[in-house]
Amino acid sequence: MNLPFPSPEFDHVAAAVCHGSATEAEMQGLNELLRSNADARDQYLFQVELHSRLASNPDLFSQFQDTNDRISLPASKLGSQRNVVPLNPVRTPARRRLKVVLAVAACLVLIAGGIGALWFKRSENGATSAAVAMLTRTVDARWSPKTHPLGVGSALEPGSLHLESGLAQIVFYSGARLVIEGPVELRLVSANEAVCVSGRVLAEVPTPARGFRLRTGQLSVVDLGTSFGVSASQSRTEVHVFKGKVELQPGKAGEQSLAEGQAALVQGSELPQLMAANPEAFAPMFEFQERSLASEAVRYDQWRLSSAQLNRDPSLVLRFDFENLSDLDSTLPNKAARTGQGEDGIIVGCQRAEGRWREKTALEFQSVNDRVRLAVPNEFRAMSLSVWVCLKGLDRDFNSLFMSDGFDPGTVHWLIRRDGVLGLTVFGPRFGKYQILASPPVSSLENLGMWQHLAVVIDGKAREVVHYVNGSPVSRHALTISPPFRVDGAELGNWNARAGPNPEPSLIRNLSGSLDEFELFSRALSDAEVRELYLKGKPDL
Amino acid sequence: MLNVQKSQFFGSIDRSGRMTTDPKREFGESGAAQQRFLSLFLRSEREVFRYVAALVPNVTDAEDIVQQTAISLWEKFDAYDPSQPFTPWACRFALNKTRQWIERRQRWQALLDHGLAEELAQRRQELQPDFEQRLKHLEGCLGKLPQDQRSLIEGYYYERTSIETLAGRSGRSEAATYKMLQRIRHALQVCVEARIQPDLA
Repeated sequence: MNLPFPSPEFDHVAAAVCHGSATEAEMQGLNELLRSNADARDQYLFQVELHSRLASNPDLFSQFQDTNDRISLPASKLGSQRNVVPLNPVRTPARRRLKVVLAVAACLVLIAGGIGALWFKRSENGATSAAVAMLTRTVDARWSPKTHPLGVGSALEPGSLHLESGLAQIVFYSGARLVIEGPVELRLVSANEAVCVSGRVLAEVPTPARGFRLRTGQLSVVDLGTSFGVSASQSRTEVHVFKGKVELQPGKAGEQSLAEGQAALVQGSELPQLMAANPEAFAPMFEFQERSLASEAVRYDQWRLSSAQLNRDPSLVLRFDFENLSDLDSTLPNKAARTGQGEDGIIVGCQRAEGRWREKTALEFQSVNDRVRLAVPNEFRAMSLSVWVCLKGLDRDFNSLFMSDGFDPGTVHWLIRRDGVLGLTVFGPRFGKYQILASPPVSSLENLGMWQHLAVVIDGKAREVVHYVNGSPVSRHALTISPPFRVDGAELGNWNARAGPNPEPSLIRNLSGSLDEFELFSRALSDAEVRELYLKGKPDL
Repeated sequence: MLNVQKSQFFGSIDRSGRMTTDPKREFGESGAAQQRFLSLFLRSEREVFRYVAALVPNVTDAEDIVQQTAISLWEKFDAYDPSQPFTPWACRFALNKTRQWIERRQRWQALLDHGLAEELAQRRQELQPDFEQRLKHLEGCLGKLPQDQRSLIEGYYYERTSIETLAGRSGRSEAATYKMLQRIRHALQVCVEARIQPDLA
């Protein structure tokens, strides 16, 4: 192809290259032209530069943002998608990264301050406390003397919070997130319910936390998978719906549902008065929410960077990061770089779900069919298993994390019992010989809905098995079975009992919950290494 | 008990050759390195992107390459000399990654073969001051676009809406939408160049 310059053909091909739609012949023609014609080359470089500036500099568009879809909501356009301020906008990776750039200065400070403080506060047997939520982020927060001193990472038990000024984000164990703006009094009731006695609250409720209830003096707001704002005082309550739908339950009057873009005012025992939702009244809280999303993105980026390193660990046999899974994918690629021992996993059933961060994918196991099948042919002197799991319930007597098929010699079963005990069964060299190594109960119901890191180390040389929860050892056991250990055919989140078509109930061991990372190492990790796995993957700062 | 299989991932080994066992310290160190890296990288990211895009202008492809570059930068971060500027160091990696990426893609090879990749990278460097000068008017020129053109450009570059959706929104065909984007960029180019004239005079 002979490309003249200057010419409409040249302009067309240069543009097509930018759009990714140029043909090979066009590209070749351009190559010849650019190598022989310096003017064409400079012209091309400038056109490409203009294109790449537009693609990489969101600041260029800030002027449009202010006039278009920010914070203004003329009543005439009520409910029109364009005017609703999105709490959780769908962002492409590029947009997210650019957001990250804007947020990074603020976030690095959070990272530096957050890690140590959070770890030490959370470590004291969270499993048996009565906590229903966690304080995850604050800006200039001043708590009233009535409230116990709180820091980011504090576990929150039922009771009252008085924020005199500033902003704070609270994540309930059900997954609901509230931003509160001082002055505000909020009473935590359960992982699924709170009371806004007075002040302003912005709630964002992801699907798993549907049914979250926020009460005020006048009414109850039941969330149907949305984001909404509440402004309450003793005698009046305003509810503004920014996304999705809520149900209002005023004291005696009938229920009423409010849709996106709608708001209601309730005074005393009067009927709710409908109006347009006004995001402007919650502007500082939206901004705060945006910033926290950006710092979540930073955390996710950090995890991805450390993932790339982890993949190169020579003792890594299997690693599933559950990244970028679509509904069509039926294989779960093994990301371990150097071993070549482990095959890819095969996804059977399972829903694609949200992982530790919004942009990370996970697999959700729910039905008795859901499972990831895999096979590892090797024998090991030691093994370490590590998984990030978000439990929905402990529905079965035995809930599988990672279980070899059947009961073959040298294989292992790793599971959670209904009573919250972590169990590892190691099968001996002869049929019928096995050892069960069970932790004390660690996973009480209040941990449901929270991402947790679980690990177990099987050390054939030291003859020891150690269970870990969130980076801390919870029990150590002497191991009587000697290596080698094996995996053979195995499943994540389920178990192939090889027991015929109608297995008895104790043989149904499917997990109810999501996984978003799994590792199998061919050696015994130390306590410090397990802790590091946890720290590198924990969802918040 | 020294484990010869100790991984790179956990490789903080103290001076006496033992694995450090204090997890706080261990994480403190790698955490600090991560922060340093992240802060440097994020500051350079746009520049690295443009460097790559000069060779592979398609946005998603360029982003892929930048992503891979980030990973190898992080892996080699130990070798980075903090007394040197970060961006040129990063761009050297980006050039390598771009070469590797092109190797597997015949179409892009056709465009960048016979040394054109290196030539473009080199020439872009030389033209940089001139580009800066011209493109500082870009924001002003964007502001002058008629509303429909502005929203198309915003949809494509800022919201990253797919061309199908943009075409559907405006009732044009995809080809016509691409053509429209090309025309708008041309208008922007004319605009920034018109503004530059007084400076040159």
